Amino acid sequence: MHLVRDRAAEYGVVGVDPQKLSFDLAKAVARKDRVVAWVHSGVYKALDHNKNITFLRGQAEFSSPLDLRVDGRVITVEKSILATGSQPAPASIPGLEQAGFITNDEALKLERLPSSMIVIGAGYEGVEFAQMYARFGTRVTLLGRAPRVMPQAEPELSDMLGEILRAEGVDLHTSAEVVRAGAENGSRYVMVREGGVERRFEAELLLVAAGRIARVEGLGLQQAGVEMQGPFVQANAELRTTRDNIWSIGDANGGAMFTHRATYDGPIAALNAVKSIGRQVDYRVVPWAVFTEPALASVGIAEEQARREGKELKIGLADFASSGRAKAIGQTAGLVKLIVDAESDQLLGGHILGPHADILIHEVVATMYQHGTAESIAKSIHVHPTLSEVVKRAARSAR
Amino acid sequence: MEKYDIAVVGAGQGGLPAAHMAASLGAKVVLIEMREVGGT
Repeated sequence: MHLVRDRAAEYGVVGVDPQKLSFDLAKAVARKDRVVAWVHSGVYKALDHNKNITFLRGQAEFSSPLDLRVDGRVITVEKSILATGSQPAPASIPGLEQAGFITNDEALKLERLPSSMIVIGAGYEGVEFAQMYARFGTRVTLLGRAPRVMPQAEPELSDMLGEILRAEGVDLHTSAEVVRAGAENGSRYVMVREGGVERRFEAELLLVAAGRIARVEGLGLQQAGVEMQGPFVQANAELRTTRDNIWSIGDANGGAMFTHRATYDGPIAALNAVKSIGRQVDYRVVPWAVFTEPALASVGIAEEQARREGKELKIGLADFASSGRAKAIGQTAGLVKLIVDAESDQLLGGHILGPHADILIHEVVATMYQHGTAESIAKSIHVHPTLSEVVKRAARSAR
Repeated sequence: MEKYDIAVVGAGQGGLPAAHMAASLGAKVVLIEMREVGGT
């Protein structure tokens, strides 16, 4: 809607009255639900067609490493694979429980647009929800404990993303620690320590997007003989837990908590469980993306980390502002940054903030997977006019 | 008593490919999910 409102005239769309535009959150949520239902229906069909898989709905609980109860039904198994995922970490901020808050689950199901929202946590989920609700029309305050949003990203890129969020009206506060929360007169508040000063922020809703833990409650891991390491299931490079007939995959193990990592883990654990071949996971090239606009995507090592490891580096940089295609689609904010080994020219990392960064990153992913060089991207012919030319330009600039 | 070779606990985007792979390797698989199949 913001695009229609802000840019219709620029693109020659006539007859749009920005004053008459409004947004129906319930309808947007209903559409999202239809898309999700479509995805799930495909999953059920695939299960129905597989005669070797029996599907049971219910809570599983181990009573021993070989015995499971599923809502009273008793099942004996030779081996198990835990794929329970993660859930938001319990609130550790005093008063938050009493004040009431939502997490990512509820934030995707709201039926009415809140007038204001405080988002606690400026990581993957925090920045996405902050921008989304700000664009819907909610007054958003985004609070991050680190000095930058997305602290795991390259500083240039996260600084730029922070500025973009601010320019869109998100009230962003970094190095801000929430010390307590409460509710008063129908609205909620948080007290925040920022630069040695305590400040109070108020909003209709609190969205907590600060940390996740393994979803293992009620699973009976103790009876199963599976040990935890902090809030996550302890698993080795073969995805085997501390119990030799039980494996664990994905978010439940901590580390890179992304769906695509869980999807990668799944077949490896199954191979090891069924065939006992001891295959190890290879997390050398695990990309991620944050679906803000512009998107932020990353794979491999960060510059600071590479320098700490004493590597001689070349850095490739290219901006989207110089791209004709970016100009044409009106999305010129962003930067491609490549980390290259100075001696071998091998790509060690790629970091992109920009339009379709979530797609563009895969050229870097495929190159890194094959231990490829910056030169292979710099010298190969890229289609004109595309955003991929910015990746190529970054590779050419590496020095 | 029900007996299976492999139990996969959780039918999200990790559990599903694990179950399908185990099944394709010939294992008798039980897939257990308390929430939504397909994960989030």
